[in-house]
Amino acid sequence: MGIGTQDETAFSFDGDWRELAPILFTNLMLSIVTLGFYRFWGITRERRYLWSKTRFIDDRLEWTGTGKELFLGFLLVIAILFVPLFLLQFVAQALILRGHTAFAGVLFLSLYLVFFYVAGLAIFRGLRYRLSRTHWHGIRGGSDDPGFGYGWSYTWKTIVGSFVLGLLIPWSMTSLWSERWNRMSFGPHNFESGPEWGGLMRRFLLCYLAPVVALIVAIAIVVAGAASGGSSGGMAGGALAVVLVLGSIYIVLPIMALAYYAAFFREMIGTLRLSTLNFHFSARTKDWLVLMLGNIGLYVLVFALALAVASMLGVATLPKDPQALAHPPIATLAIIGLIVAIPLGLVGGFVRYRNWHFFIRHLEAGGEIDLASLTQSSTPEPRQGEGLLDALDMGGF
Amino acid sequence: MIDVSGLWHYDGRTAIRHKVDLRTGDDGFSLIGDNVDMGPYRWSDLVRRDNSPDGPVYGLKDKAGWRICFAGGVPDAIRDQLPGPARYGRWVDQLGFWRASVMFLAVSAVFALAVFKAPDWLAPNIPFAWEKQMGDAMVGDFGGRFCNGPGGQAALDALVRKIDQGKPAVRVHVANIGMVNAVALPGGNIVLFRGLLQEAKSPDEIAGVLGHEIGHVRKRHVVQALMRQAGLSVLLGGFGGNGGGYLNAMLAASYSREAESAADDYAIRQLKSARISPDDTAAFFARMSAQEAKLGEAAAALGYVSSHPLSQSRERAFRQSKQAGTAYAPVIDADQWAALSDICHNDPKVPAEDSLFF
Ligand SMILES: [Zn+2]
Repeated sequence: MGIGTQDETAFSFDGDWRELAPILFTNLMLSIVTLGFYRFWGITRERRYLWSKTRFIDDRLEWTGTGKELFLGFLLVIAILFVPLFLLQFVAQALILRGHTAFAGVLFLSLYLVFFYVAGLAIFRGLRYRLSRTHWHGIRGGSDDPGFGYGWSYTWKTIVGSFVLGLLIPWSMTSLWSERWNRMSFGPHNFESGPEWGGLMRRFLLCYLAPVVALIVAIAIVVAGAASGGSSGGMAGGALAVVLVLGSIYIVLPIMALAYYAAFFREMIGTLRLSTLNFHFSARTKDWLVLMLGNIGLYVLVFALALAVASMLGVATLPKDPQALAHPPIATLAIIGLIVAIPLGLVGGFVRYRNWHFFIRHLEAGGEIDLASLTQSSTPEPRQGEGLLDALDMGGF
Repeated sequence: MIDVSGLWHYDGRTAIRHKVDLRTGDDGFSLIGDNVDMGPYRWSDLVRRDNSPDGPVYGLKDKAGWRICFAGGVPDAIRDQLPGPARYGRWVDQLGFWRASVMFLAVSAVFALAVFKAPDWLAPNIPFAWEKQMGDAMVGDFGGRFCNGPGGQAALDALVRKIDQGKPAVRVHVANIGMVNAVALPGGNIVLFRGLLQEAKSPDEIAGVLGHEIGHVRKRHVVQALMRQAGLSVLLGGFGGNGGGYLNAMLAASYSREAESAADDYAIRQLKSARISPDDTAAFFARMSAQEAKLGEAAAALGYVSSHPLSQSRERAFRQSKQAGTAYAPVIDADQWAALSDICHNDPKVPAEDSLFF
């Protein structure tokens, strides 16, 4: 069937945050009473909802992952990564206590490299897991590659990317994106990704240069102010310069970074193909800005509410005695923890909902799909979920 | 035998959507349509999937991608054969949301209690020899930073023997580091920092501070703290991310208030039986508190006060333990004290450092 016509978009999302709210509230409640361990099942419920409200052409997507898989992935990471790290920490402490600081340094450096490798592996396997659990018309995606090679690529490309003052970052991001997507598939078809990084350089340089330009302008203003108006002119110029530098760091730089990301995603998704399908991502810088401001606004709003509730309960007034402060009673800590954890736990779900909605709203596809030749994927189904990704606190795609 | 019409079906092999009818049979059903594997299938192999806008969807156990959707509604006659919806996860669905919540809460409470209390019960039962092996392996010679001026170590050992005759003996050393502090490391390894010796006005002050650290060793607080830290990292692991880590550090960074006063009690008892006046230790606490008030918390962040929160009650406990009519004598004589005070000064080999990066 042909898709992506003028009046009908290939992807659409018809979720409603009021339908999601009961899912998030019950997830939060169960997460609290299980000391956080329910979150694997909670994330699964959340995804099932988001996927089931996402339509591609004539049918919705289906998330078939389970909480148990995610939990097993988490246990695996604890066993193969965190237990050795925990033990190595003792070794490092002993090395420092015994004065072998050079050995400790080598140990930390190699741990740092291992961390890069594991981060790359996590990104690859997270994407593979998500594709393998996404069904459409009963067909799923996946990858035949377990991602061990990608881990090395990620390590050296990230390190090379930071050479030359980070000017090669667009190259490393682009080439890593295409490397991992070229190994992914849906049904019998391989994804093909061939993005160019040259076109991203202009925006990358802009966000790179913004603080430098601001600094030069600021110095010029101070010098000019001092030359023209003596000390008072210098003071005014200095204040203006400080405003300028801070403004460029906290306002201009994030907007420039967003502009770069907007271009990056348009290029990455716009050059992605699956058999006869091609994709397109329409979000521009201003769309990203609205998304981000909305997300930040949500966090601010909920935190303000939580603080108001906390001060009404009188928990915010901490004990005056320094000894009581050094050893606050467990109950106080638990209440403070809940006041922070409840809003954060809830807002996270709504932010993921907004991000997913944004992603689907701007995602387009065109071309032809032959349903008869879209056969079931022969890739292995990973038995456990995105444990590494989860442990390292990283996003998808 | 009932026929249900108006279903759609994916076979999980291609993406083609088949129009099918469902015909019931003995404890199962078959599908009727063009190019469709008609079965028979068992009701018990069906798995409820998320609803389609067209109607309820079912999958088949161990057959990835196989789906049927009752787009024309589910007839009452077969409703009981179909599995119910999966909402929260198997355990919660079986128990019900509230029953499961209460049960989880109870299990969590027991678990949390075990993590907090188990070290108190377990630590005394861990052979001290094990702790000592691990501690000695960790500490070694402290990177050559232990001071060994003439007569200094002998004086320190004499002081320790006065206030602690426990077995196996604790290993006390002075490290050439400027901080005013003392720490008890695993295996009875106690380290005094040079700053503490410089700050002390008498050997009796050192005896009181050391008595407190030896108290931590003898009461097995060091192992307790290590075990509690390991337990907490499991307990808070569920929350993931950084939140758990920070909370963990906050909770495990210091001994509990109970442990601190137990260590004080030990020190007071040992001073009393060795006939060493507790006055000087109380005076040391008072000086440290005053200094903290003057320097502010930030300056004192690495010093004695930060790891041993001072309070008037602690000072009072030491002062009140003094007994009228007891003849108190200094813990070591003036020559020994001179050798101990200069233990780092008289040892040119040891490197001096003003901080220690743990
Ligand atoms: Zn203590």
